Amino acid sequence: MRKSWLVFAIVIACAAGVLAQPVPPDDGVDDWSPIVYPLQRLPLTFSHAKHLARGAPCAVCHPAGTTSRSAVDDLLPTEAECRACHAIDRNDPAKQATPTVACAACHPGWAPGKVVEQTYLTPPPLKFDHAAHAKTACESCHPVRTVDLATARQLPTMASCLRCHSDGAEERHCTDCHLAQPGGLMQLQFEHGTLVPDHDGLGDAHGPNFKNDHKTEARQVGATCNACHDQSECVECHTGSVKPMDFHPGDYVMTHAVDARRGTPDCSACHRLETFCVSCHERSGLTTRAASQFSSQESSRFFHPAGWANASAGAPNLHAAEAKRNLNSCASCHREEDCMTCHSAQSSGGHISPHPANWKGSAQCRALDRGNRRMCLRCHVTQTELGCDW
Amino acid sequence: MFRGACIVAGLLLAAARADAYDFWLHADTIGQAYQLRDFQLVGPDLILGRHIVTQTLSLRITDIGDLSLHRRTARLPDHGLRISWQSYIRVDHDFGNYTNGQITVPGPSVMDALDVIPELADDVTGIELMYGYLTLEGLLDDRLRVDVGRVLVDDGWGTTAIDGASGRYDVPQIPIEVSAIAGLHVRANSPLGVSAYELDGTSGAGCESYVAGPTPGTGTWQLIDRNRTVENFPFSSDYAYCPQRDVDQPSIGVTVATHDIHGFSAEVGYRRTWSDSAAIYPDEFGQLPATGLDEERVFARAHADVTTGDGVTVEPYGDLRYSILNGVFDRADFGVRLKTGGSTIEPAVEYYYPTFDGDSIFNAFSIDATTDVRIGYKWDGRGPWRVTADGWLRKYANADGLPDYAGGGDAGVQRALGVNWRSSIDLLADGGYGGRRVGGTATAAWKPTQLFWLRGRFVVLDVEEDPTAGDPTGGTTPPHYVTSSANISSTYQVAEWAAVHVIGEADRDAIYGTQTRVLAVLDLAFKPEM
Repeated sequence: MRKSWLVFAIVIACAAGVLAQPVPPDDGVDDWSPIVYPLQRLPLTFSHAKHLARGAPCAVCHPAGTTSRSAVDDLLPTEAECRACHAIDRNDPAKQATPTVACAACHPGWAPGKVVEQTYLTPPPLKFDHAAHAKTACESCHPVRTVDLATARQLPTMASCLRCHSDGAEERHCTDCHLAQPGGLMQLQFEHGTLVPDHDGLGDAHGPNFKNDHKTEARQVGATCNACHDQSECVECHTGSVKPMDFHPGDYVMTHAVDARRGTPDCSACHRLETFCVSCHERSGLTTRAASQFSSQESSRFFHPAGWANASAGAPNLHAAEAKRNLNSCASCHREEDCMTCHSAQSSGGHISPHPANWKGSAQCRALDRGNRRMCLRCHVTQTELGCDW
Repeated sequence: MFRGACIVAGLLLAAARADAYDFWLHADTIGQAYQLRDFQLVGPDLILGRHIVTQTLSLRITDIGDLSLHRRTARLPDHGLRISWQSYIRVDHDFGNYTNGQITVPGPSVMDALDVIPELADDVTGIELMYGYLTLEGLLDDRLRVDVGRVLVDDGWGTTAIDGASGRYDVPQIPIEVSAIAGLHVRANSPLGVSAYELDGTSGAGCESYVAGPTPGTGTWQLIDRNRTVENFPFSSDYAYCPQRDVDQPSIGVTVATHDIHGFSAEVGYRRTWSDSAAIYPDEFGQLPATGLDEERVFARAHADVTTGDGVTVEPYGDLRYSILNGVFDRADFGVRLKTGGSTIEPAVEYYYPTFDGDSIFNAFSIDATTDVRIGYKWDGRGPWRVTADGWLRKYANADGLPDYAGGGDAGVQRALGVNWRSSIDLLADGGYGGRRVGGTATAAWKPTQLFWLRGRFVVLDVEEDPTAGDPTGGTTPPHYVTSSANISSTYQVAEWAAVHVIGEADRDAIYGTQTRVLAVLDLAFKPEM
């Protein structure tokens, strides 16, 4: 017990070391993605709020906003659109007028002789057809009425798309908007980062420890896993030949008995084969099967303790309780023949019934007998033994 | 000969990353070499070498025939018939003396390990087609999709496969889709079969056949190959033969599910698999049925997603499965996920009653269920921190003198330390039935350049196995030991599409002493971890 506390203290000390590091401020949580809308540079002074308050229609400044067919199109207004209202005079860049026309009014920090700072927009890795949405009010996707300079933050989140496209969350529709890579999977890797579902929206947020604990997300009807992940990624782990290195702790061969006995986590979620357990146990000599080098001769190396399967009075006969509560662990090594040695109703068997007291005539007995009598025939042969009303 | 080999090698390497416009190929070559201890009754233990090479190949070909070329190049949403192919094939070869060695059995006589332990045959070599199917989608005005070939089948609690077809149809006017499957269940003995898809995973060992006695009802079950000549086929054991496992298993299923309902989804499904009876059972009175069910289940699940006015997301969910063959509910899972900001809390209850392939007598022995209560917490803001904490309690349906509870908890914190460093600490403590463990894991990852990753992990655990595993009369003390493990892994990206992973591990514990192992992976379709 003292060792346990020592181990615990060491780990706590390490944890404290990590936690003691200074914490940068959290910039909040929302559904807006910096991967879908990469960094941009807009060295401009502009107020959407003021322009909209004056009744300026969006299309006056963004005429291509109703005709564009691609998300890579640059829809920012050029000087020509500004000139419709602002009498810009390049020969008099400091000219004062209303509405404002001075160059520095929109290009802050500009002075005669200086190069105007360029805007820089990385096209979003999306497919989008503005023309197809021309009948939709711009502000239903771009909430700019109260902001001055609109940035990528005023570009629509997926949640706003799904308000109308309710089937857009289905796996088969992901690449209607997101780029696909060869083979049809969504493109996730970009120069500016990797696209990972990390917040609400589709119920598929890849939070901490997601690689090892994603059953709730994966079981959802219409789970979108295969939009990004090839099915081989599932099979690779769940019926895999090589375990992910961070799933089990190191030296797990030594410590796996505790998990295997309890049945939690569910070993069979990945280790579907009886042979996975039994071949290693047999080859390592950790069994009591007759074919092993360590049959029942060497008590110090029994896999099960003495009296494990002994129904005589006073013997612990522990295997019965273990088998009732976690037969999967028994089945990971034992074949049916091992059970039939004692439990068969045949002349060669031990006639020890494994059935619970209320088995006779039970619905469960009838269901099994009706569904597959082959199972019953393993132990019961004659007509009088078969069925559930003997 | 040498030139030919070079050409073949060159073609294989070139094929490993052959990005064309409409197909994608992913190849992994994994080599493992490590040692396992073979306990000896007399003299020092043997150390068995285990060497495994695994080659996987996954392939996706989309828009075969360029039926959707126009829409694809115009970046328009898919519409109309599209044909595609997906497959995943795996080749395993285990060639160390773990599988290919010999064993001294009482006699004494020396035999091939494979002939003593038929289960090893599954480890020696295998070519498995995990799935491979042709997809036709966009049929009937984009309402029908059909997959033909080896198709994966999943009811939420496990994946198997059928050789046949599956289809999904969106019912017009109502937000319902109907899916159906039909075919032969994939078995170990199917062409390019996968033993992991067997219904209860208990295949692979030998089986017995009923040998009739002098009067009806007095026969005995005997190993089916008792009188067969051991052929010493290098990759399998004669003891593995079992005719019932060669029989085809037709399988059908149908599922009705919602779609296109914002914030709610549900499905109800049915699946049935059966097989003809092989002539290994007693049939003196005509008691052997012509066919038997291997599984028959109905299942249902529902999930909702509601966001309240104050920004709290509530996601209740439930999954339920009933085994008609066994006459019991064998799986259930109910919970609710509450999210606010970066925090998620999820209480859940899970119920499990083990059921097996209908041919297995384990169905009659499995009579008690377990019920788990779990609560999980996650915090995942946009900052450098991530936190997880989980607690669980399992109740076993019977006590019978054993502890009828097990429970425990774990907690972890992950933190980015600067641009190139990431670290985490996880703590674990559990107890009750099965044993008691206390310990933790410290992990650090460093990425000094875009092409090189280095990760380290240290685990220490204090373990006291369940006293019931020892002799309850007090003759044997249950094992109690401290185990520690250090692990270093690195990834070097040698090209845009290729990387080499090298993993080293050193373990120290009371029984094995110090052990080391090395693993190398040549990844020919590399993509960085997310």
